[in-house]
Amino acid sequence: MRVRHGKTIGLVAAMLGGFLLLALYGASAGQEQSAPEARSVWDGAYTEAQAKRGEELYRKHCASCHGAMLTGGETASPLTGGAFLSNWNGLPLDELFERIRRSMPQDKPGKLNRQTNADILAYVLSVNKFPAGKSELPTQGEWLRQIKFETNKPNEKK
Amino acid sequence: MHRTIRSVAALIACLVCASAIAAAQYRAKDTEWPTYTADLAGTRYRPLDQINASNFSQLEVAWRFKTDSLGNRPEYKLEGTPLMVNGVLYATAGSRRAVVALDAETGELMWVHGEREGKRGAAAPRQLSGRGLAYWSDGKLERILYVTPGYRLICLDAKTGGIVSSFGSGGAVDLKQNDDQEILPDITTGEIGYQSAPVVAGDTVIIGASFREGMTPKSMRNNKGYVRGFDVRTGKRLWIFHTIPKRGEPGYDTWLDGSAEYTGNTGVWTQISVDEQLGLAYLPVESPTGDYYGGHRPGNNLYGESLVCVDLKTGQRKWHRQLVHHPLWDMDISSAPLLADINVNGRPVKAVAQPSKQGFLYVFDRETGKDVWPMEERPVEKGTVPGEWYAPTQPFPTRPPAYSRNGVTIDDLIDFTPALRAQAQSIVSKYKLGPVFTPPVESKVGGPLATLTLGTASGGTNWPGGSYDPETHTAYLFACNACLTPIGMVASPKEVSDMRYIAGTAGQEVRIRTGPGENAGADAPKPARAPQTPGGGAGGASGFTPLNIDGLPLIKPPYGTITAINLDRGEIVWQIAHGETPDVIRNHPALKGMNLPRTGQSTYNVGTLVTKTLVIAGEAQVTTTSEHPRGAMLRAYDKTNGKEVGAVFLPAPQSGSPMTYMVNGKQYIVVAVSGGAYSGEYIAFTLPSPEQ
Repeated sequence: MRVRHGKTIGLVAAMLGGFLLLALYGASAGQEQSAPEARSVWDGAYTEAQAKRGEELYRKHCASCHGAMLTGGETASPLTGGAFLSNWNGLPLDELFERIRRSMPQDKPGKLNRQTNADILAYVLSVNKFPAGKSELPTQGEWLRQIKFETNKPNEKK
Repeated sequence: MHRTIRSVAALIACLVCASAIAAAQYRAKDTEWPTYTADLAGTRYRPLDQINASNFSQLEVAWRFKTDSLGNRPEYKLEGTPLMVNGVLYATAGSRRAVVALDAETGELMWVHGEREGKRGAAAPRQLSGRGLAYWSDGKLERILYVTPGYRLICLDAKTGGIVSSFGSGGAVDLKQNDDQEILPDITTGEIGYQSAPVVAGDTVIIGASFREGMTPKSMRNNKGYVRGFDVRTGKRLWIFHTIPKRGEPGYDTWLDGSAEYTGNTGVWTQISVDEQLGLAYLPVESPTGDYYGGHRPGNNLYGESLVCVDLKTGQRKWHRQLVHHPLWDMDISSAPLLADINVNGRPVKAVAQPSKQGFLYVFDRETGKDVWPMEERPVEKGTVPGEWYAPTQPFPTRPPAYSRNGVTIDDLIDFTPALRAQAQSIVSKYKLGPVFTPPVESKVGGPLATLTLGTASGGTNWPGGSYDPETHTAYLFACNACLTPIGMVASPKEVSDMRYIAGTAGQEVRIRTGPGENAGADAPKPARAPQTPGGGAGGASGFTPLNIDGLPLIKPPYGTITAINLDRGEIVWQIAHGETPDVIRNHPALKGMNLPRTGQSTYNVGTLVTKTLVIAGEAQVTTTSEHPRGAMLRAYDKTNGKEVGAVFLPAPQSGSPMTYMVNGKQYIVVAVSGGAYSGEYIAFTLPSPEQ
């Protein structure tokens, strides 16, 4: 029993490894986007240049309601600080991306393209002091799903 | 003979009269919730007690109603409070602002109504699902009334959801017309709307007006927010109250240099309360055009930021109290006035108590408008923004004391550790601090960037308002105690706004708050550019320092509170922090090992419900704790002492105020939740059925 069990595990592991390799190969060959290096927003999920672009776009599309300093307004919630961070803590980043993409800006929801949304999100991350990295924030949901929004630095957790 | 006929006729007339009065006023049962705030007195009170301290935590979800399909996209900001009459729940919902009728016991959809308004809806200043609707019955007919995003008053048959074609024109009154002003630039895109629930009292339905946010208006001119009464049966306009007086009307002279002619806004965007016995309606009025700059409207600006009492049948003003002279802080009177019959020093008083963004509860005699406790006009600081006009004094209530922070001092800053206090002090050193009514400043790169304020735009108490318990004469008020609003003014480039100053931060591009489709076309003017802040990049790619320290609020706890105020004495009975300590604080490395009492949450959109024994309110932020997965809690407090007696889990923040009712012997609590990644949903809770 035990031996057979062990064999099975080994086989499954080998198969999984194969799938993983295939999946990785498929990803790099079949998609223009490379898999994100970041596993959380603390691993450098965007670039400084992207956040810079995003700042312009934020001013254009978002600041009128969410405020120049992201503090929110009478009807728009803050995009920085405890409430914002708690709201998204623990969720994969595609949830926040999709929320922005589908419902914002309020006067023309869903009308900004994915790149614009990604750039704006990069800026919001930068304002919230999540570090910049070497690769840009991706625009595809499956890639964004790999990045976790975490309020506290993983190694600083209790 | 003659005489007899006469007296019989008189008798008949009287009987007809009495029955007409009886018929005109639907008498709701205590087990129902027939208006947005439970009754016309704004109380959010029902004397129900099946759900109580002993069983609150056992509440189960009875049904859920997801609102995603009520519009062309899901909505994440469901702010409605439903009504419940005769076993049917009525609510607005979805990005379409549809109306739904649900079986109050099961949540089953009975009918749905939506209005496709095309460009007019897309151009609306206040979109999405709104706060609710109104119910009216003469004992036979049943009607539902609501206002669409495009500012049309719709009348529906409550039984079928069908349009009542005899109302207005084909079931609708176009509220952009017959308004004693021409709505500019045109009926389709002209800025005016309403997101609150209409109020029906007797046979009169009262409608206010709301606009875009007024931090950076593109013009000192705007449409005006008059209040109107309509006949609930026909939609005919009965009266109008000019919230900005017309030439020749009292108060016109509080707008110097003829500024009443072109200044706009000054609407009533929140809930109106009515005393049907006195025949009086209470109108809480917002700020005039330019939330933070009044240089184009010198004078006290009546009835901006005033509580105005008008005759229910004629709209004639009976009295008014201006709570802020020459408004400069966006202290809209933001919620339903609470009508309270109290006893002050052994004297019965029919009072009105007005919660506010600035944390003052203003209490007046609601028949006369006179003080219940003395109000004092105190000198306030005069500011230096060029061209601004400053009121030399502001009214201060001497009682009850302020129930939330309405100014910022060093002592209000975060003090978990001396290092954090020092960091906070360093951040605020670029800002002007001061008590309530500290004026906005002209923003300068070297400082001050802005006046740091609490109890202004967000409040304090914002649109959800308070609750009032008529049995114990106690008001229950949620308030944000840490909703920081920096108010800095920058000179406005001509192509951005014709106002001399609008809200902004020195060193950052001046941008106007854009409306739907505005500035979207190729011919739209390009906004003015200003130099970037020197040393930009301090906060990642951003050129400014956020008003928090690694996610920690600059202001110390409690961040959000519920306060009980006894109105016979004008005293605070208890005050508690409402809301779980946010994750960012509970898990923050800088606070590791510290044992913090519950901090409450910094949010302004929490509404309360009061029952026979409980004060009930949900949380407006999600947390993840050892007791519950990611979500928020609906909490119940003993109303006599504020002690928490139970809590149930919500999958998303409370975004609309809770209500309660009884059907078939069971009490229900319904609350709107939404926010973050969670789209709008009404959730009904009830107690588990006894085992069979």
